[in-house]
Amino acid sequence: MNTKLKVSKVSKIYPGCIANNNVSLDFESGKIYALLGENGAGKSTLVKILSGVINPDEGQIFLNDKLLKLNSPKDAKNNNIGMVFQHFNLFETLSVFENLSIDSEKNNYQLRILVNNILKKYNFKIDLDVPILNLSAGQKQKVEIVRCLIRNPKVLIMDEPTSVLTEQETEDLFLSLKKFSREGILIIYITHKLKEVLSLCDEVAVMRKGKVVSISRTVDEELSSLANKMIGENLNKIKKITSNNLSGEQILRVSKLNFNSEDPYEVNLVDINFTLNKGECLGIAGISGNGQNELFQILSGETLSNNGSIKFRNKEISKLNPKERREYLMAFSPEDRISQAAVPSLKIYENVALNNFKTSNFFEKGLFNEKKIKDHSKKILSNFSVNTDNVNLKSQFLSGGNLQKLILGRELITSPELLICFNPTWGLDVGAINYIHQTLVKINEQGKSIILISTDNDELLQLSDRISVINKGKLSKIMSADEVNPEKLGLLMGGGLVD
Amino acid sequence: MIKIERRDETSNLIYFLTPVLAIFLTLVTGAIIFYLLGFKPLEALKFFFITPISDLYGLSELLVKATPLCLIAIGLSFCFKSNNWNIGAEGQLTFGGIVGGGVALLFYNHEGFYVLPLIILAGAIGGMVFAMIPAILKIYFNTNEILVSLMLVYVSKLLLDYLVVGPWSNPEGFNFPETRQFNDSARLPVLFEGLRIHAGIFIALVSVFLAWIVLFKTYLGFQIKVSGLSLKTAKYAGFKGKTMILLVFMVSGACAGLAGVGEITGPIGQLHRMISPEYGFTAIIVAFLGRLNPIGIVFASLIVALTYLGAETAQIFLQVPKYTGQVFQGMILFFLLASDFLLFFRIKFLGFKKYEY
Repeated sequence: MNTKLKVSKVSKIYPGCIANNNVSLDFESGKIYALLGENGAGKSTLVKILSGVINPDEGQIFLNDKLLKLNSPKDAKNNNIGMVFQHFNLFETLSVFENLSIDSEKNNYQLRILVNNILKKYNFKIDLDVPILNLSAGQKQKVEIVRCLIRNPKVLIMDEPTSVLTEQETEDLFLSLKKFSREGILIIYITHKLKEVLSLCDEVAVMRKGKVVSISRTVDEELSSLANKMIGENLNKIKKITSNNLSGEQILRVSKLNFNSEDPYEVNLVDINFTLNKGECLGIAGISGNGQNELFQILSGETLSNNGSIKFRNKEISKLNPKERREYLMAFSPEDRISQAAVPSLKIYENVALNNFKTSNFFEKGLFNEKKIKDHSKKILSNFSVNTDNVNLKSQFLSGGNLQKLILGRELITSPELLICFNPTWGLDVGAINYIHQTLVKINEQGKSIILISTDNDELLQLSDRISVINKGKLSKIMSADEVNPEKLGLLMGGGLVD
Repeated sequence: MIKIERRDETSNLIYFLTPVLAIFLTLVTGAIIFYLLGFKPLEALKFFFITPISDLYGLSELLVKATPLCLIAIGLSFCFKSNNWNIGAEGQLTFGGIVGGGVALLFYNHEGFYVLPLIILAGAIGGMVFAMIPAILKIYFNTNEILVSLMLVYVSKLLLDYLVVGPWSNPEGFNFPETRQFNDSARLPVLFEGLRIHAGIFIALVSVFLAWIVLFKTYLGFQIKVSGLSLKTAKYAGFKGKTMILLVFMVSGACAGLAGVGEITGPIGQLHRMISPEYGFTAIIVAFLGRLNPIGIVFASLIVALTYLGAETAQIFLQVPKYTGQVFQGMILFFLLASDFLLFFRIKFLGFKKYEY
């Protein structure tokens, strides 16, 4: 049976911001729809309205010409609208099956048969009796999808589903989604990744500042046209010119580094060796969870390696803590920008004061020099185009892009010789990504070095001079960026070998 | 219709108003309890909260009780702010009292200006060293500081018991479990003739001031704040986490030790089994009621001290057990934790829908 979903003149106003402004959209089963927009464009608000989490101020939703009253997520479920959120709603310590049975009215026996049938039909390989915490992100997402499928959904909404997935997992997901679509499930795919729209979806609606600015067929679109619609300005494409003026002067030498963790959920690092030259960007690719986190922490000094040596500008630093390493002009931008790189409930200037150098004098004679810190913070805000000049703002009110600019600014304003960053553009919109990439290119041009640990292969290929792949805690041989292509990377990331 | 909404931001006003609300709810509930017990509620509350401080002696008693509470709570705020759960202030107080009392007995025959400072210093060091035990065990063996610090309370109490019954008991004391009365030069001077209020209050006030400076104006205070909010960030910033655990426990223990030595050299004047009516535990309530803020703690210590006094007058005038005081302390903490809900959520009264049209 055909499913038609109609969003009619929906508006939602928050104090100081119109999240949805008279949004009207029509969806029909058999197609995959993309809802494209930057962070803050109003996609999530619309999705929350469709899934009953919030009520719109105006407008209606119709399913097959029937007016829907969605007052709670339960109403959405009862009307066969399934929803997979970006962040999983699973109990980590319960088994897969227990998680599925929590909100199911069926008895366990029936449910198990049903789930097994679903798993078989879509070729999902998940053991129902292992705890969720043993699953990869991709498998967790499959559990969420199965949870929706149990209820025979007519509509399946996916909210930025690939932000945590590897490339292989993403491909798997796309195959499944196409299959669902052929079976008559209406699929709405929310994303800010342009490529995914083109490779997966049939139609695309672009949102900007709460409004739908364009509805079109994806065959009529290309990357640049979608990007322009999404951010409303022409992007200047970054292409890093591999620096020819590399002096060859070595700045960092890591040798025979090993790390054995006591935590069974951490990855052990095995015999890490590499060197880094002045002005160079070394990319480290890999599927997430292969030791990137551990490598970052050991390079930053948050954890110490069991043995091996890290020499930075000819000084042995492997036993120093992050603060001491910063004094030697290293800088770090961790993956978790929200709760690690900054404290959300602290004000901007307090978050800036986290990097307290001997020379910065934030705490003269041990006392907090508020004026100095605030002046320093203002400089960061303006030099790194953060979208506010209020240093008293709590950092939780900054968008992801602005927060990342603040963090990079805090790390870079002292002109460090080496920046180590881990997924610096994770979850950001195109405008912010662009800005951060430009910044990274710029510091390379100034003769400073970068280690870029990232799960985004495009980013790595765009910015790196040399690339290595980390797999199960081991680094592959380091290749020059010219000889690397996505296929080669994919092979190494999956644990294969290239000559 | 009542609607509950998540707040976007917690305002400072509500942050300090919720303790007031908690106290109000405690009074209302207290009135109900008194009513159920067959007393006139308002009169009972008056006996409990007004009569005790209606004369100078009462006010002096209030300050005598508030002094140790304030001191201990100040120390605890260092621990609690940095996510270190020191529950054993009572033990650190007792141990500080033991060490200070030991020095007082040692200098029993000495008279001189140096005796009292020496005793006070010894008490602070005693409490500090005793608090370092859970800290060091936490740092090197990853033990749970809640359990260790709590269990050490009983260790120190039993040690005190042994000392006052055995080796340190008063040779002329007819086997009462207590030491000799300390020499006058080992006593904190009384501020006013006839009242018990003593110079210990200045120690408390100085530590309030110092704590405020350290917590809000120094790098150390900043590190404590950040570690309390996010250990991950503290690690990333390169703060020396282990040193800090040790340091906050030392501050906390020293404050509790000072409170202990203040009691024995102040109102008590000797060592015996009951040198503290559980000030160390009650101070936990004071610390939270004062929002871990030194100024807030000053007010909170006065309010909680009043429950001690009120319990005594209620015992006399209403013939209820003095443990009523603990009931009130418990209620304050309970309502405080409950009203913290308002920090993150707001309640909206939308009126009745049917009257809308």
